Amino acid sequence: MHLNRIEIKVKSETLTCYVGGEGPPMLFLHSSGGARLTPALERLAEKYRIYMPIIPGFDGTRSSERLRTMLDVADLAAEFVDTAIKSPCDVIGQSFGGRSAAWLAIRHPGVVQLLILAAASIRPNGEERPSGSPEDARLRLFAHPENLPPETRPAEWLAQNRAVSLRLRGSPAEDAELLGRLKEIRALTLILYGTKDGEIPPSSAQFLKSQILKSMLIYVYDAAHAIDSDQPDHFVRLVDGFFSLGETFIVARGKEHTATLPS
Amino acid sequence: MKFSYFHLMPYHFFDEPQKDWPTRNTNFDPKKAQELYTAYTDMMARAEDLGFDWVGCNEHHFSPYGLMANCNLIGAALVHRTKNIRLAMCGNLLPILNPIRVAEEYAMLDVMSGGRLIAGFMRGIAHEYIAYNTAPDESWERMAEAHDLIVKCWTEKEPFGWEGKYYKFPAISIWPKPFQQPHPPILMSASSIESARFAAERRAIMGIVRLPGYEQALESIKVYRDTALTNGWKPGPEHVLIGAFTCVADTFDQARAHLERGLDYFFNVLNGGVATAQRIVMQKTRYYQEERTKAQRAQHVAAQRSSTIDERIETGQVLCGTPEMVVEQITRMNKIFGHGIMNVNMKVGNIPNDVVNRSMQLWSEHVLPHVRHL
Repeated sequence: MHLNRIEIKVKSETLTCYVGGEGPPMLFLHSSGGARLTPALERLAEKYRIYMPIIPGFDGTRSSERLRTMLDVADLAAEFVDTAIKSPCDVIGQSFGGRSAAWLAIRHPGVVQLLILAAASIRPNGEERPSGSPEDARLRLFAHPENLPPETRPAEWLAQNRAVSLRLRGSPAEDAELLGRLKEIRALTLILYGTKDGEIPPSSAQFLKSQILKSMLIYVYDAAHAIDSDQPDHFVRLVDGFFSLGETFIVARGKEHTATLPS
Repeated sequence: MKFSYFHLMPYHFFDEPQKDWPTRNTNFDPKKAQELYTAYTDMMARAEDLGFDWVGCNEHHFSPYGLMANCNLIGAALVHRTKNIRLAMCGNLLPILNPIRVAEEYAMLDVMSGGRLIAGFMRGIAHEYIAYNTAPDESWERMAEAHDLIVKCWTEKEPFGWEGKYYKFPAISIWPKPFQQPHPPILMSASSIESARFAAERRAIMGIVRLPGYEQALESIKVYRDTALTNGWKPGPEHVLIGAFTCVADTFDQARAHLERGLDYFFNVLNGGVATAQRIVMQKTRYYQEERTKAQRAQHVAAQRSSTIDERIETGQVLCGTPEMVVEQITRMNKIFGHGIMNVNMKVGNIPNDVVNRSMQLWSEHVLPHVRHL
């Protein structure tokens, strides 16, 4: 099901947002690559109403003076939920979006029902971001680049995305604060990590699991950093299963069970 | 060099070749089998006293070729009958089993034995896939995924889930975890180029339990070593296991006669059903992914059946003769392969148990002291 690009006015900003689908609301906080519409998202939109606000400055949108840190992004996300969704909802944060999702759950616990941190960009040991050629970066991000939809965004948008994400990424002090406050997340959390992720070390996912009290960690086999792109069927199954079933998600269902989307 | 005493636990009460697959069990005699299990586990436990470093078990299904449908049970039977010998499970057939169960049972064996497990991760012979109704075409992918999942079970510090192509487990936290850290050494079969490459990519010990011929074995070892270097590590002799059917006797004629009869029984009676199943599987599947491997395997099977003892000695398929002759054969093989682990299978086909026990005794007293230094 298709997501439409619309403008939504929240208290302090007018946000551009992708919205689409029918069903319980789901907030999707995008990665530093911007708001990418993937087949996985479009399949989830068959059962959920998906809201993917574009962080100001990404994908050709106007930057916001007010957004200086990930905490500001989280606060803006909370305003968005209050204004556009008008009720607590399930939240997915992917990579860079995982940091803002974690802050959202810490600073605005009433907004978040169930939380998914997909390849969340949190480095517990202060590891440097890996460097290398564009091809190296591609391999770290994608185990199956053939799955990617063609890139249609202009090059200047992509460059701006990189600049904005660097600006917002945060200081070491902010990183330390986030690491120390993960314990405050009360929402039941599903942590997803691709077994071929070359961008974030596995210690990141393991650390999240150790700190977030009510959490589950699932390794997605044969996926790199972009889990939704590399393994869309598995991503959809996990997201839908977790959001539909909560903690009973770990219980096997027989063939007759129809609560989840078919693969 | 280290030495492994390997046992297939054959059920050798057939008079006629068994060609059907699966081999009918109508006349299976549980009393006889009980006696065999007792005799065989006695031999395997005795291997430690006779100076072997490893005792090897294996897993095969639906055939009198071997009574070990689950090698872990035999491993457990040996844990408290031995103190120091390594328990080499050679091994669980990953693609047809539940990998969590493998992880758990191997961890149990490792803990119970105080860290003596050698964890064999095997793909299985083709007929095993019929036995457990698993698609042979999926064997390599299943093997790869199961390997990663089992190692994760052993090493992960927090509970975790797994979402894979073949295996989905949402919440895993095995108890016990292995004694050896980070995990027990892993051994894989590597008689073909594709399996040698696979083993090296995962830093496993490579094993060629029955030589397909010197040239092919050397090629597999080369591929293993080259692939290891490409993957950032350098294997030593301790990473290469070579195996052979073995008979040590007081005279060469005795050894030859025993082994000839045992091999005839092994290939033409016990192995008949297995060969039928393999022929069926090979026809329409990609169990061997490369055509060359498939062809080599077919040649190897044909050669194994038709070779004379002298040919088998010459090509390293068997160790056969007096202790002095066997010392020379092992020394020659070591010069050729540079391997650090020699795997010997002495209960071949229907060789009587007293002959096997004598072979073990001669090995311990007159072979081992002269090859230990290799």
